[in-house]
Amino acid sequence: MNRKLLSIILIAIFALSYIAGAQSQDRQKTYGGRIEYYVNPVTGDRGGVEGSVVNRTGRVPIPDAVLELFLGDKLVAKGNSDENGYFLFSEIDNGDYRLVVSAPGFSSSEVNVKVEGFIKDLIFVSLLSSDIVNTNFDESNFMEFDMDDSGYSDTPSLLYGNDVYSNIAGYGFSAIRFKNRGYSSESQDVYLSGVRMNDAITGYTPWSLWSGLNEAMRSKETSMGTETYDYGFGGYNGVTNILATPSSVRKGWRFSLLTNSALYRLRFMASYASGELDNGWSYAFNVSARLGGNDWVKGVYYRSFAYYAGVEKKFGDIHRLSLVAFASPTNRGAQNASTQEVYDLVGDNMYNSNWGYQDGKLRNARVRKTHEPVFILKYTATPLDNLEATATVTYRTGKNGYTALDWYDTYDPRPDYYRNLPSYFWMEDKDYGRTSYDKYAWAQEAWLTNYNNTQHINWDRLYNVNIHNTDEEGLGRSKYIIEERRTDQNDININGNVKWRANDWFTLTGGLNWRWNKTEYYKIADDLLGGDYYINIDQFAERDFASDPAMIQNDLDYYLSNGSAQRLSAGDKYGYDYFANVRDAEIWANASFEKGHFRGYAAIEGGYSKFWRDGVYRKGLFAGLDENGQEIKSPVTGNILTSYDKDGNVITSKGRSDVADFFTYSAKIGASWFFTGGHRIYANAAYMNDAPTFNQSFISPRTRNTLVPNLTTTKTVSADINYTYSNNGYDFRLTGFWTKIMDQTDMMSFYDDSQNSFTNFAMTGIDQRHMGIELGFEIPLYLQNVFLQGVLSWGEYIYTSTPYMTQTIDNSAEVIIDNQPVTYWKSHPIYKKTTVDGVVTYDRDASGNYILDKEQKHYVPSTPQLAADLGIRYRSNSYWFVELNGQFFANSYLDMNPLYRTMTAVAGPDNAMTDAALEEHSRNWFLNSTIQDDMGLSPQEIEYMAAQEKFDPVFLLNASVGKSWYIDRKYNFGFSLEVKNILNNRGVKTGGYEQTRLIDSESKTRYYRFDPKYFYMSGVNYMLNLYFRF
Amino acid sequence: MKRIYNILLAAAIILPSSVLLNSCDEFTPVFTGKYPEPESWEPVTMEVTHTIQELAAMYTPGQEFEIEDDIVIAGKVSTSDQAGNFYRSLYIQDETGGIELKMGKTGLYNEYKPGQTVYVSCKGLWLGMYGYDEDDRYGGSGMVQLGYEDPTGEYETSYIEVQYLIDSHIYRGEEGDPIEPVVITESDLPGQWDTQATNKYVGTLVTLQNLTYGNEIFTLLYVNPNLEHKASSNRVFLSDETHNVTTWAMSEQKVKEHLENGDWDDVNVGNANDYTHGTVGDPENKANLLRYATPANVSQYFYMGDRDIQIRTSGYCRFADLEIDPAVLSGEKTINATGILTMYQGSVQFILLDQNGIVVNE
Repeated sequence: MNRKLLSIILIAIFALSYIAGAQSQDRQKTYGGRIEYYVNPVTGDRGGVEGSVVNRTGRVPIPDAVLELFLGDKLVAKGNSDENGYFLFSEIDNGDYRLVVSAPGFSSSEVNVKVEGFIKDLIFVSLLSSDIVNTNFDESNFMEFDMDDSGYSDTPSLLYGNDVYSNIAGYGFSAIRFKNRGYSSESQDVYLSGVRMNDAITGYTPWSLWSGLNEAMRSKETSMGTETYDYGFGGYNGVTNILATPSSVRKGWRFSLLTNSALYRLRFMASYASGELDNGWSYAFNVSARLGGNDWVKGVYYRSFAYYAGVEKKFGDIHRLSLVAFASPTNRGAQNASTQEVYDLVGDNMYNSNWGYQDGKLRNARVRKTHEPVFILKYTATPLDNLEATATVTYRTGKNGYTALDWYDTYDPRPDYYRNLPSYFWMEDKDYGRTSYDKYAWAQEAWLTNYNNTQHINWDRLYNVNIHNTDEEGLGRSKYIIEERRTDQNDININGNVKWRANDWFTLTGGLNWRWNKTEYYKIADDLLGGDYYINIDQFAERDFASDPAMIQNDLDYYLSNGSAQRLSAGDKYGYDYFANVRDAEIWANASFEKGHFRGYAAIEGGYSKFWRDGVYRKGLFAGLDENGQEIKSPVTGNILTSYDKDGNVITSKGRSDVADFFTYSAKIGASWFFTGGHRIYANAAYMNDAPTFNQSFISPRTRNTLVPNLTTTKTVSADINYTYSNNGYDFRLTGFWTKIMDQTDMMSFYDDSQNSFTNFAMTGIDQRHMGIELGFEIPLYLQNVFLQGVLSWGEYIYTSTPYMTQTIDNSAEVIIDNQPVTYWKSHPIYKKTTVDGVVTYDRDASGNYILDKEQKHYVPSTPQLAADLGIRYRSNSYWFVELNGQFFANSYLDMNPLYRTMTAVAGPDNAMTDAALEEHSRNWFLNSTIQDDMGLSPQEIEYMAAQEKFDPVFLLNASVGKSWYIDRKYNFGFSLEVKNILNNRGVKTGGYEQTRLIDSESKTRYYRFDPKYFYMSGVNYMLNLYFRF
Repeated sequence: MKRIYNILLAAAIILPSSVLLNSCDEFTPVFTGKYPEPESWEPVTMEVTHTIQELAAMYTPGQEFEIEDDIVIAGKVSTSDQAGNFYRSLYIQDETGGIELKMGKTGLYNEYKPGQTVYVSCKGLWLGMYGYDEDDRYGGSGMVQLGYEDPTGEYETSYIEVQYLIDSHIYRGEEGDPIEPVVITESDLPGQWDTQATNKYVGTLVTLQNLTYGNEIFTLLYVNPNLEHKASSNRVFLSDETHNVTTWAMSEQKVKEHLENGDWDDVNVGNANDYTHGTVGDPENKANLLRYATPANVSQYFYMGDRDIQIRTSGYCRFADLEIDPAVLSGEKTINATGILTMYQGSVQFILLDQNGIVVNE
């Protein structure tokens, strides 16, 4: 039996090799390419190299690929592949060669070839589509901004790509936190191994899951804008797919050591990839550590590690199976924003209020602690040459925590709390009611001299309060603790894709995806700071409902069965505890056509998404009904604890909420023409429909099951038109884009110490319009190997609707603002005025009405709407490179809070706007003395309160230099040094937010704003990377 | 070639290790993740130069002033802001009397515990009076307080408030047992013009026994607290009778409850003798009062013999809505009250520390 089998196999092998040999000889005879030899071969030991250049996905032959054969640094021969992708170098000496293969639309590739007296067949030299990029760019290049219960979010949006624009804009603009086309992070689709990995709860990009694994995650495929993509339908802000499979990791050993002055001190990284072995196996691993602080922001530190391991097996020509596991266990200290007053007092725009000395050691109160492993099992089948199918399962689990100070009935420990600042005691304008210049001077003195560590958290003091707060039993009840807010996800994706190349001109791709997510939100008492216990009650409710202990319970069931609130030890859950459940499914198909110089596609997607909240705790304030559907009474006072909303529905905190579900459907279409000489024109258009995310959809998810009213899907219409030119080293792209996003929902939740509670703003009906141009170019200069390169992104990203807002507070069922318009959200009026000797008077027309001068638009914030980069790059044949570039950023705006744009805040405490007057005013900004005198709305108030801050323009200069050495053609050693912000510009605002609170005036006719908080960019900083590869 | 190799190798070793050594501080959390526990603070002792009575005697009514001498007083903390009836201030007392320190911070009981000795270095602080009214018939003394300059002139002193000023004037001494209240009689009560300088019980923790209910309250509500407090049209006085208020004070919920029950519908809006603003029951006034309701402070009147004692309680305190025993309200039973004895415009105002300060006599 065995012998029989063996002989069959042997026969088969011989037969195959004969056929292959025959084919090979045929190919050699019919080779239609041209090869030029620059070296006359020495007679004697001679051989050659042959093979076929193919596209890595689908093995489609690439004709006209350029092939250059080097011996050392010397070009020996140059040629191109024929229409079947085949090439042949037949007349060369024996030796170790380097074959460089490049083709338009593909990333170039290098192969080492040893020629030993015969024509060596490389079989396939596969090229990655240039959509696939290799980059050193890491999400950890972003310092995490701690938004500190402000209600704003901060997630990086990173632009990857391998075209002339995104090459530069991607990495080069990251320090200023540039958002391409002004789009938010959620709009960017990030795929891992073909599966969309954006956070199921928030939609945010998930870069942090694999930060520190640069080598393993290096290979990426990207598309820009609304373009479709092989593995999914995509959105309007591009798709990035990280291949992540072991066979996509660069072969060999790689070690690197990196130090930089703006993020963390050290990074060690090692990786190894086997490449595809003869037996079909490939495996790869990658580990790294990022450690230490930086020169610019104190308190920010990393204790981050990362690991990746993957194994892949190819079974015959058809099946391929891979399994990958990775995670990035991380502790990192966060940076906080402060007001300009604080920065000026400390004399440093990089001041961070999150840390203080504890017994002489620097300690940060805000630390991100994560360990979220991800597993990917992927199966790929290519049963036919023109058919590829994949099935992928991913699983994400683990913990994600973020620490913060929590305190109970004691003073606010934050050093830059507004009552600790000089401005709290005195303001020049008497209407603020801040009148004590003496106290101002004392507070200023304390800040300037850092008296008793005024500038920092006083940990010793917090410990002492805890230690000395002993109860009857002699135990210390902590008044200050470190809490850890946990968001622990379990996320499963099951995904299937098919790509069928029906014939030369038609390809059909399609797929489906199903997602299951269950995420637990809760807090734990992480560190009792010297005390013995903490108590699980709602201190925010305590102020208002102190007379009924049942009402202030976070966990009423515990209280009812034990007669008192839980005493917490370190590590215990408390505060809130609930599950977010999300189920998503999508199905999509994309038909693409290719005929001559024309390419086109049409794609559709349908989706269903639903989510609900499932509360673990029964809160005293929102007790709901008991198991028998009866109202719950307080055992102490006998009061009914069950509360109802304005429609008479029970407000519940425990158990399942209503399920919000949405059907979505989207379509895209695009076309592209190639012209001879390297010109291409292409255009895309899309209509998209996206379900709101869980985190936008509950008015107070920490405390209750209530959904935001009027939830609806977001609708987006987007189109772009592009021109590219690529020839003779010239590279150029110009794009025009237009996008309208409608019906967005936003939820802001922030700590409001005037309410002594978390306050929630739910906004619905937010519309935006983004339009602009993108330009990228690269021009070879007369000097060899010197290129001039540049990009420009210039757009207008504005708000175009008047959203509605509902305000609630966590410690009450009361609705503070009930679905009211945010009148000045999209714009505010500026009226004509005359200034005489510094005194401003507003002009009026004959009927006494104020005259509208202009309508000031409000902009989508936190990104420059004008960004430009001009650079010069030199790359020598001996592996030196030098680059110098200047950047200009302008038209960046501060994030707006909706409160300041409501009539309540603008008109002040004397607001008496009638519905009719509001209607008339909103229509064309009509304002007369009746409105001013009787309803309390003045032109000054509007211009003061509704205005949006615009950041100053910025010019930056950066440079980098690098060199690598090859030793014995085997070892590669090199460095790169990058110096950013060489001019040491320390006044560059990269973001920030407005505080959502108001200052009462002495006149009682208006409000004042609190100062906004800002984040600044680091001054001059360097990054040095040393690497060793073999 | 080899030289470059060596240089780079050396750089690779020297650079990170020197960085490591030079910045150990930032590596503390990196290597340990733990922090040393700080030591307990050391209590302060200071040389006392004046008694509280001596200090209070330096004050002349209506003439607040900055203390320019090196005066140090000491006293034990007699109050706690834990229950919320004292807010942003505390009282200390020695054998000669008690005085309020207008600290201007919340959660004071965490660091200034009842019974703890506190030293006050008075130089730079201001001595003034709250609640003084020179009117001989309706007025009288208020309380001498230690605070800071009030540039607005609205009050004689303001809160000290700035941490720097607190840290450099108020020093924490040894902790000790809470002060035992002194039981005083009707004859011990201060008269119309008494202050801490003339009556040693003023500003101290005392117990008043056998108080009978006076069937009278005093409270001031604002129609819209966001608007001018002094405007007559914005004020509602509940006085002369009980107005169905049976609690020590009123939380926001309690105020709304009374409004919704129509308990005060007949009460006029406006200052005494100003009847031009309608009543609480008028729909517009009622709507505003409900919409802008805030907690209300209440004075509940009691008699100690022939003397009126107002027990004044904050609407923000934790026992605001605590019901007074109906038997007390009906006059069947009396109470003993423990709290701080204060003066306001010549009348005795009594401030409870917490609800344990009320004992109903059987």
